[in-house]
Amino acid sequence: MEREVIFSVCPDNEFFGREREMEYISGRIRNSFKPSFGMYLLGRRWIGKTEVLRRIYHRLFWESSEPVPVYYRFRDYYGTEGFAEDYIKEVVKQYIAFTRRDPYIARDDISLDKLERLVVKCGLNRIGGLIERHREIKKSGDTITAIKNAVSVPRILTQGGPPVLLILDDFDLTERIALYRGGPSIARELMEGLSGKGMLFLAGSTRRTILEDVAFCFPMEVMELKGLDEDTSISMMVEMCREYEVDFDTEIHRFASKKLSGNPMYIKNIVWASRRTGRNLLTLKDFVDLYVAELIEGNIGYLFRSTFAFRGMLEPMVLNTCMDLPGGVSVDELVERLPCGQEELKEVLAGLADSGLVEDDCGIIRWTGDEVQKDFVSYIHETGVNGKTPEEATTFIVCRNLKDGFNFQGIRIHGKVREEVSELIKGFNGQGVFKILFNNGEFSRRYRDGRFLAGEDEEKITLPQIAGYFNTSRLEIGENGPPIIIAHGFQNDRYDAGNEVIWIVGIKETLSKVHVGDVENFIRRSHILRQNFRPLRTVKWIIGREGFTQEALERMELEGIYSSDATQLDIIKGILRDGREETLFVPVKEFEVVLPSSRKAELVAVRAVEEIGEEMGFDEDSVDQIKTAVVEACINAFEHSRIKSGKVRVRFVDGRDRLVIYIQNSGVDFRPSFVLNSSGRMNGKVLHKRGWGIELMKNLMDEVRFEELKGGTRIVMVKYLKKG
Amino acid sequence: MKGKVNIKEFNDHVILYPDNYINDIEGDKLDYMCDYLLKKGIKKFVIDFSGTELINSIGISILIGIIEKVKRHKGVVLFSGLRKVNQNIFNIVGLTKYVPIYRTEREAVDELRGNSVAMK
Repeated sequence: MEREVIFSVCPDNEFFGREREMEYISGRIRNSFKPSFGMYLLGRRWIGKTEVLRRIYHRLFWESSEPVPVYYRFRDYYGTEGFAEDYIKEVVKQYIAFTRRDPYIARDDISLDKLERLVVKCGLNRIGGLIERHREIKKSGDTITAIKNAVSVPRILTQGGPPVLLILDDFDLTERIALYRGGPSIARELMEGLSGKGMLFLAGSTRRTILEDVAFCFPMEVMELKGLDEDTSISMMVEMCREYEVDFDTEIHRFASKKLSGNPMYIKNIVWASRRTGRNLLTLKDFVDLYVAELIEGNIGYLFRSTFAFRGMLEPMVLNTCMDLPGGVSVDELVERLPCGQEELKEVLAGLADSGLVEDDCGIIRWTGDEVQKDFVSYIHETGVNGKTPEEATTFIVCRNLKDGFNFQGIRIHGKVREEVSELIKGFNGQGVFKILFNNGEFSRRYRDGRFLAGEDEEKITLPQIAGYFNTSRLEIGENGPPIIIAHGFQNDRYDAGNEVIWIVGIKETLSKVHVGDVENFIRRSHILRQNFRPLRTVKWIIGREGFTQEALERMELEGIYSSDATQLDIIKGILRDGREETLFVPVKEFEVVLPSSRKAELVAVRAVEEIGEEMGFDEDSVDQIKTAVVEACINAFEHSRIKSGKVRVRFVDGRDRLVIYIQNSGVDFRPSFVLNSSGRMNGKVLHKRGWGIELMKNLMDEVRFEELKGGTRIVMVKYLKKG
Repeated sequence: MKGKVNIKEFNDHVILYPDNYINDIEGDKLDYMCDYLLKKGIKKFVIDFSGTELINSIGISILIGIIEKVKRHKGVVLFSGLRKVNQNIFNIVGLTKYVPIYRTEREAVDELRGNSVAMK
């Protein structure tokens, strides 16, 4: 029989990263040797609990002979009687559907009369009596008895047949269904009904407090469903972007994964919005613009508005206060800070706790929402309480997220470069340095095989004597873009006003080349910054870790801006350290092996690097990491060699504090293998079957970069010796 | 048979000992051996990497294929004896989410015999 979907779930190719949890739950259900089983699936709203519960249901429905799965989703708009009848109908019809393996019955919106006929037809006489009883109780209006009767149905079914597993979704909504007008909720009655021998249930909820209310009835296991981890979130975004033909950069996905807390609903909506608006996810700005639009006027915003349904401005004021105080705030303090009375506040807090935005921990109110909800609340607060226009509030949220994104990229990827540059500038003390080291276009043309051959009359510039340096965050509040360092000093060994100079240094630390947009941003910012300083002479310098686009270089040349990449920076560093230019161009020790195109040839390079690495003082783990990275680089170089019998040259440079490895083939760019290879799937979770080589190299080495050469490609990998 | 893989075969499980370097050739050998054992009805596998120094990305892709295959047959695979770097690369590719890893072959086999693997 074809496996029909009974309760709607998302397409398999959009379901990610819950296999482990599903396997665990299925295993616990399968292997439960205790007479009873109870599990509580706890997680934030929209984190994927319903999806997991429904998939467990389908798995049991189609793959098991027992227990009998019954999925029930609580709704707060039923009254007590309405719930009792709905519960009886769902439990009984799904029981029958399972025993007959007829999904149509489970989906059918059945009347009580029809259900009674079905029960008789199936010989479930013990249930017929309960339905009849329900009719009588309904007439009398005795809601307590109606609930007790309804919750006894699964137990009665279990006593006379295979066990029933109740899959209870949105369990915390039971708190909103009162046992009788003004009375307690039905939660306790429900749990008592579930606590009998042989009873099995799996309940999903957003709130932990409900556990405390019902735990006395029944010992149960709690599983917390968190956001998807970073790798899974990125895989999900990559797969969805491919599916919807959205161009993307995985570094942006990495930030998105953090920002969206790995929440599958947010991730899907961002990719869908990207598809809908025709915008790609290639830059931080792409993502932030899409995200903020989605948050304010897109699906996410719509969902938040309808779910949180703030009745006035007190809710955002309370939330904003809680967001500002991560340690929590007492109810009394809130009353002091906000224009409200204790009773009004309590009512608001109860609603916010229901929404999962705050928790009340013994009178201390804490923010429990996620980052996206925080932005949404900020927007409402800025417009509703602080009186900003929607445009102003949007700009505020956009700026905040861009800033977070730049910080994240800087910290996550290569915060080290900024520190290196600061150290380097500190060492400027009137040294003469080849001018070509500040001209990336010219340098790229003349730098070959780790050497730059200086001519006799090679032009030099004299570095200033630096008096002090600082970053510009204080001067550029609210400004976005790569970090800028200002160095203040003197030239020509003269400490007078006429020789004062400032160097304005922009640093692009991310894994992409400096493009013309970065240059324009730098020019604009440096023009503003320049006004803070007296010296007439200004030198502008952009350092791009991964180099520059041709367009950027042309623009910089027009403006007279210096340009250096990571290699040039290393050479300048060497000059300042050793004081002798030639030592920089002739490495201390250098080894080279040429590998023929034959099986396991890469092991020759591995043995060489093992010796070199140990000799340099790398520990065993680091040597192992370098060996694995070398293997990957070599097999990539062979695989992409244009000539079948092409050789691969591997050069090891012992740079005292680092080992630099150059692997060069005579072929095409190595990189496409990472992006374009096909992927495999394991239980719905995507694992790339191929194309891990570059990812491995990047993880195992401190630096990996690719250089396009005439007639080939070169990978440069660096591993630093750890001091101490 | 394409080549040999050292194995220890028991009543319901098998321990496989791959070579020093798992590349396409060694990976294919493992794959072939697992196919053969699955056809024989073996569904519990321990792959002991204590003799394995290097695993390349092609080897990893073949290992992923083996794990998928065994899971399709409702079987189970455990890894043991991994060097730190190899455990690290399995982490990077996400394999450790699907395959329990034990320090030694003995611990892996004990786990299999305890029949509690499915719950890990």
